[in-house]
Amino acid sequence: MDYESFSEFKNSFSYGSRSDLSFKFFKGLSDEETTVFIQTLFTKVVDAMDSGDWQPVAEHVIAGQKASYDKPASFAYDDAPFTPLPKPLNQLKLGLLTSSGHFVDGDDPRPFGQENMTQFEAMVRISDFLREAPTLSTIPMNTAPKKLRVRHGGYDIRGSAADPNVILPLAHLQSLAAAGVIGELAENAYSFVGAAAQTPLLKKSAPQWAEMIKQRGIEAMVLLPA
Amino acid sequence: MSVGHVARVFEAAGIPTVVIAIATFAGRLAPMQIPRLLLTPFLMGRPLGAPHDGERQLDVLRLGLELLETAVAAPTVVHYPHSFRTLPT
Repeated sequence: MDYESFSEFKNSFSYGSRSDLSFKFFKGLSDEETTVFIQTLFTKVVDAMDSGDWQPVAEHVIAGQKASYDKPASFAYDDAPFTPLPKPLNQLKLGLLTSSGHFVDGDDPRPFGQENMTQFEAMVRISDFLREAPTLSTIPMNTAPKKLRVRHGGYDIRGSAADPNVILPLAHLQSLAAAGVIGELAENAYSFVGAAAQTPLLKKSAPQWAEMIKQRGIEAMVLLPA
Repeated sequence: MSVGHVARVFEAAGIPTVVIAIATFAGRLAPMQIPRLLLTPFLMGRPLGAPHDGERQLDVLRLGLELLETAVAAPTVVHYPHSFRTLPT
């Protein structure tokens, strides 16, 4: 077997031979930082097995992701556009859009013309996704969770597949509307794969989506990035 | 960064927005001047909380809606005060 350096090992979790979208953040850490992360993780796993409390394990993984990703933006702007809410929330029509990559079963957005692309294939083709404009999927607000599918080559979809409400909170919006907290819900929610080319998103897709939302009488939007 | 761009375009087009994102991306999102931003200290891909933790997910969503309703200028950034929690099996 060819010799593999520790640096190659840690980087293999980021779209390499050991690709794991929850741990691809190793690539953004130094060898020493990754070593300390892994050793501490092992300690915390055994502590959790003894105590039954997995909270410290979860917080350690979240801290690792943050240490790697919480870096200055590729995009910085001087202005901050702002539209005040036109009326109280309990009187307006609210919509939802997420970059989670969800779609309704039978309505596959067919990236690159491919039906039923797997999560693994989406991960392998992440560079292709990042070069393309996003496709928006329409998801009726009353869609049953079992009818939802999710595919996104940029993040670990296990949580959002097990319970879409972690990022596509259809059930919660419906309960808030039923309770009168929200005046009215839009007929549909929307989702796209956030790993997409930014210039066409900014210049073309997002302005088109804004126009569509206004035409449908939606007066405010909740936006959820993956 | 995609949703940050969507938020900016929507606001400029006259649609008020609130973005609920994980705090992991705070450093990338802050310079984008997101109009209303709620940051949660959660795991990637789960901005509202752990799977099947409906109570926590709803609490985060409620805080996001409160931000949507109460922010008077952009950018307004709020941090969710509770940590990610794992559910007992």
